[in-house]
Amino acid sequence: MRQITLSQAVNEALAEEMRRDERVFIIGEDVAEAGTPFKVLSGLVEEFGTGRVVDTPISEPGFMGLAVGAAMTGTRPVVDLMFGDFLFLVMDQLCNQAAKIHYMSGGKLNVPLVLRTNLGATRRSAAQHSQSLHALVAHIPGLKVALPSSAYEAKGLMKTAIRDNNPVVIFEDKLMYNDKAPVPDEEFLIPFGEAKVLREGRDVTLIGTSSMRQVCEKAAEALAAEGISAEVIDPRTLVPLDEATLLASARKTSRVIVVDEGHQSFGITGEIASRINEKAFYHLDAPVQRMGAMDVPVPFSPALEDITVPTPEAVAARARQLVAGEMIDAA
Amino acid sequence: MPLDVIMPALGMAQDTGQIVAWHKTPGEAVAEGDVLFEVETDKATMEVEAQGAGYLVDIAAAAGEEVPVGRVIARIADSPEAGQSAPAADAPAAAPDLPEGTAIIMPALGMAQDTGLLVAWHREPGAAVAAEDILFEVETDKSAMEVPAGAAGYLAAVLAAPGDEVPVGEPVAILTAAAPEAPVVRGFAAGPAPRATPAEAPAAPAPAKAPPPKPAAPPQTAGDGRILASPKARRLAREQGLDLARLAAAGHPQPYHVRDLDALRAMPDRTAAPTTATAARRRLTARAGAEGFARFADWIAAETGARDPAPLLAAFAAASLRQGDGPLSVSVERLGRARAFTDPDRHGLGRAEADASAAAPDIVLRDLRPGPLVSVDLGPEAVPVLTLLSAGDGIDLTLECDAAALTAPEAIAVLTDFAGRLDEPLRHLL
Repeated sequence: MRQITLSQAVNEALAEEMRRDERVFIIGEDVAEAGTPFKVLSGLVEEFGTGRVVDTPISEPGFMGLAVGAAMTGTRPVVDLMFGDFLFLVMDQLCNQAAKIHYMSGGKLNVPLVLRTNLGATRRSAAQHSQSLHALVAHIPGLKVALPSSAYEAKGLMKTAIRDNNPVVIFEDKLMYNDKAPVPDEEFLIPFGEAKVLREGRDVTLIGTSSMRQVCEKAAEALAAEGISAEVIDPRTLVPLDEATLLASARKTSRVIVVDEGHQSFGITGEIASRINEKAFYHLDAPVQRMGAMDVPVPFSPALEDITVPTPEAVAARARQLVAGEMIDAA
Repeated sequence: MPLDVIMPALGMAQDTGQIVAWHKTPGEAVAEGDVLFEVETDKATMEVEAQGAGYLVDIAAAAGEEVPVGRVIARIADSPEAGQSAPAADAPAAAPDLPEGTAIIMPALGMAQDTGLLVAWHREPGAAVAAEDILFEVETDKSAMEVPAGAAGYLAAVLAAPGDEVPVGEPVAILTAAAPEAPVVRGFAAGPAPRATPAEAPAAPAPAKAPPPKPAAPPQTAGDGRILASPKARRLAREQGLDLARLAAAGHPQPYHVRDLDALRAMPDRTAAPTTATAARRRLTARAGAEGFARFADWIAAETGARDPAPLLAAFAAASLRQGDGPLSVSVERLGRARAFTDPDRHGLGRAEADASAAAPDIVLRDLRPGPLVSVDLGPEAVPVLTLLSAGDGIDLTLECDAAALTAPEAIAVLTDFAGRLDEPLRHLL
């Protein structure tokens, strides 16, 4: 199978959907003329013109509000939010408007909007351009949240998101845009709410979102060399969450580590760990572990930034503790 | 003039204080400011200093004791002789005009507070007060506070006037159960401190008892004896009838996970059984004389007409094995047939009847007399087996069982007892 970068995969998904459905358009800062953020959108304005690839002034609340209105009135906007950190600027448009219109109109209105943005630290972008804020959005009923973990997922999830009649927020990892993965030539979609078991295992389950999937896969390889069999699962969408697959794995291995790049406290890892505790408690042989980013602003210092996020070594070390039956942080 | 040492009030809601330790011994010289003892309340442990110099005498409360706030627990006297001025003897002299009742003391409102300024009384002398009524107002270096009475009664004595600086712990009022005829009212400096709760004060404080009761030691292990185990290990143990407490008793390190259940499964069925490899089975032999039992059987036969020795043997076996009141079933294999007797030791001798409905036997008595066998070593069976063999003019007894069925002392006791009964059957009647 051919290998393409995550950038190309997103580009393909957008181009295919724009060709398929002329209501689909892209709006955001620098999406057309100025070279496009992370070069994901190269070539799209040439093919679809400035009428469907729309440059905006630097005003996230403005173009997000515009897109919500456009979605309510018959188009299917893909909003480009250059950094996930700018979510704070569009909270009302996204959480109070887009997420609630369908409910508050008694189902008469839909907001078929995709908010494309990103997450991920270690790009030396400092505290205001390095956050992973997907937990904020996943908390709000009415929003779907997808976290592609490779070029394959990026394409399949984007196409599904564009065809969804409700608002979807897609977080791409900004460090993965140049990572290649096998992506089929033929068209495919990835349904929401279907986790992917990337590696079967017996001793411990590593649940990794977005680029933490690769972290988990590397940890699993290190563990395999020591005779510890780790199962690796990527939930792919947080909302909806494929609970059944996660629970089945928890029941199988009895030990679970949830790895996510959002801040650990009050985050995705806690939510998933809690569901496993609630529904697979009597199958657990160890407390479910959360591994998120440190609860600190992302440092600009590279040496410091690198230690704030989960690493394969840290995940493998935690897995070894669980398998060995060590008491973790317990009195 | 001896100085009373009282249990101070270290908190607003404190009724008692526990003396953790004395830092001075009886008769020891103390200087003002020396740490006399340590007090523990529900909130904190504090050191209490001597308010004056002298010799510590008349210690009335030992380390470990809970003492009501305000109670005199020792005195600081001019000489090291104890009892020179017993409080009871001293009290009437010192405060002959004070009514008996509950002393209300100056509370300690801050940790570093030595005295409190009495700002105002909120009740008139002689007035009836409820426990929650505000009695007076105190000002410290930090704040002013209203102090509730803490007890119900009549304000029979007011021992400090507004504006007085009163040391913490000193009585400022006395509440009595009956309405006073003439309430005492005076300033703090006007008279010596009365006995706090004089009615309760011992006439002569007993010297500290030699071994003070130690406060309960904190638990050494994981608290309340709960076993630390994973949910899955617990569930599997429950489903498989395994008892995690046995792992704990064996000293297996906690917390327990599923893999520890293997160790649990490998343990013998009863914790009392030794775990050495040779302990998997037990075989004991003994010899009893044949004559005593033969004579006894003849006597029973003459008395009851029953010539069958099986009920007798069953009764002896049951009596030897019996530990509690539950039903015991003995299977007697004799002359090629097996009969079960339920509680044969509780019927008249020789009157026990074979019970076809008896439960699984607790012991098998295998009577192979007369016969050519001189020894058996058949290994443990489902229940202990007691084999009887002819041996010249005696009976050879062999008890075989699984190590888990009987502990070594139990097996020895059973066989010894049974042999004794065969030797002297009359013992059975006693």
